[in-house]
Amino acid sequence: MEDQARIEVRPLDELARVVEALLFLSGEPVGPGELAEACEEPVEAVERALGELREQYVTGARGLVLREVAGGWTLASDPVAEPAARRLLAKPRLAALTPAQLETLAIVAYLQPVSRPEIARIRGVDADSPVASLLDRGLIEESGRSQFGAAVYRTTTLFLKLFGLQSTDGLPEVSQWDPSPEEIETLRDRLLRAGEARASGAPRDDADSNRLT
Amino acid sequence: MLLAELELDLEVFSGPFDLLLTLVLRDVVDLLELQLAEVVVTYLDFLQARGELDLEAATEFIVLVAALLELKSRLMLAGEDDELFEFEPGEAAEELLARMLEARRYRGAADYLEGRLADQPEVRYRQAALPVSLRRRSLEDVDGAIWNPASLGRALGGLLAMPAKLDLRHIGSSRVTVGERLLHLRDLLRRVSALDFDDAVRGADRMTVAMTVFALLELYKRGEATWTQDEPFSQITIRPAASPAATG
Repeated sequence: MEDQARIEVRPLDELARVVEALLFLSGEPVGPGELAEACEEPVEAVERALGELREQYVTGARGLVLREVAGGWTLASDPVAEPAARRLLAKPRLAALTPAQLETLAIVAYLQPVSRPEIARIRGVDADSPVASLLDRGLIEESGRSQFGAAVYRTTTLFLKLFGLQSTDGLPEVSQWDPSPEEIETLRDRLLRAGEARASGAPRDDADSNRLT
Repeated sequence: MLLAELELDLEVFSGPFDLLLTLVLRDVVDLLELQLAEVVVTYLDFLQARGELDLEAATEFIVLVAALLELKSRLMLAGEDDELFEFEPGEAAEELLARMLEARRYRGAADYLEGRLADQPEVRYRQAALPVSLRRRSLEDVDGAIWNPASLGRALGGLLAMPAKLDLRHIGSSRVTVGERLLHLRDLLRRVSALDFDDAVRGADRMTVAMTVFALLELYKRGEATWTQDEPFSQITIRPAASPAATG
């Protein structure tokens, strides 16, 4: 973070002023390429202008902050304004997500494009309701059809903005949440015992269960 | 849900439909002994009694009964692909384990997302998007295939081609005419003094039998033959009108 004491009124370079205006006008994050095209300037010049803006918008300097999300730049309100914004807009920044919605969102984020039946298969329960809520809240959207004709879903720019991500590639490796080999072994043992208890009455095949433990 | 209200009274089970499903899934009721046709008939009665068709419930019912039917037919064909749905305890456990691990992985990811969301600074973004009319579109935004002239050409070409003539040969057409049957009857009547209708149409299909009746009516109208039948569905005896044995 820059030294906050250095905040001073300093005229911006013309290109930086234009870029700032474009960011103000645009509802979605805008990438340097798009900005360069609109300004009819080389990308390097726009990058320099963005750097200048970043200095101006250093946290604590203004009521707006400049954020790099979803592969572009966008202006957002400073968190200091949040309590007042809540009173003014009477709408929460983000209503809490239910566990089912979070799980569904995680599956879409990692496996996109993914269909509803596939989500249901992974979660082991019906996914209709969480998918509908996430669609409704603009966190996921349809992105075409699977080869079997089911609608497939992907995450939206709003998802990236709300979760402060540049792209879904920025998500951590999913396998890190797999249980440890010891935990898997314990789980397997428990399942096997349950399976054998259920199959009692049928001839028990000890060789088979030994093979798996 | 309407379907849950469906009360069944079957040989092996009596109670609501959804309970039956649960019991079948838990192997309490043997699917092999369950007459699915009875379930369907009960449902149809139920529909008639209600006097309205709830499409959603009907769809659900069809899906469930189809699933039961498939399951039952597989059970009845046991032996051929037993291994497909009869797991050894060990295999079932492995299958279940794989699923649990996958679910757990994404539960972990969900927890991560929840934490990440909570850690985000409380910033707000502008929510109103520009009206569509003001948004600038570039060709790159559009899936290239839509603008591919070759695909447009192919689509038009497909419309311009004459479709192949339909082959209707497999649709049977009636090849028998009243005229032919008239000749047939006259031919028979020339040789005998009395004729059994059954003999006149022996081995013939329904259409031919019908045409023969028409031919017979025609003969009667023209006064060439008379017929007698003692009672409905009994033998029909045909006699040439000129025959002295004719009784009218």
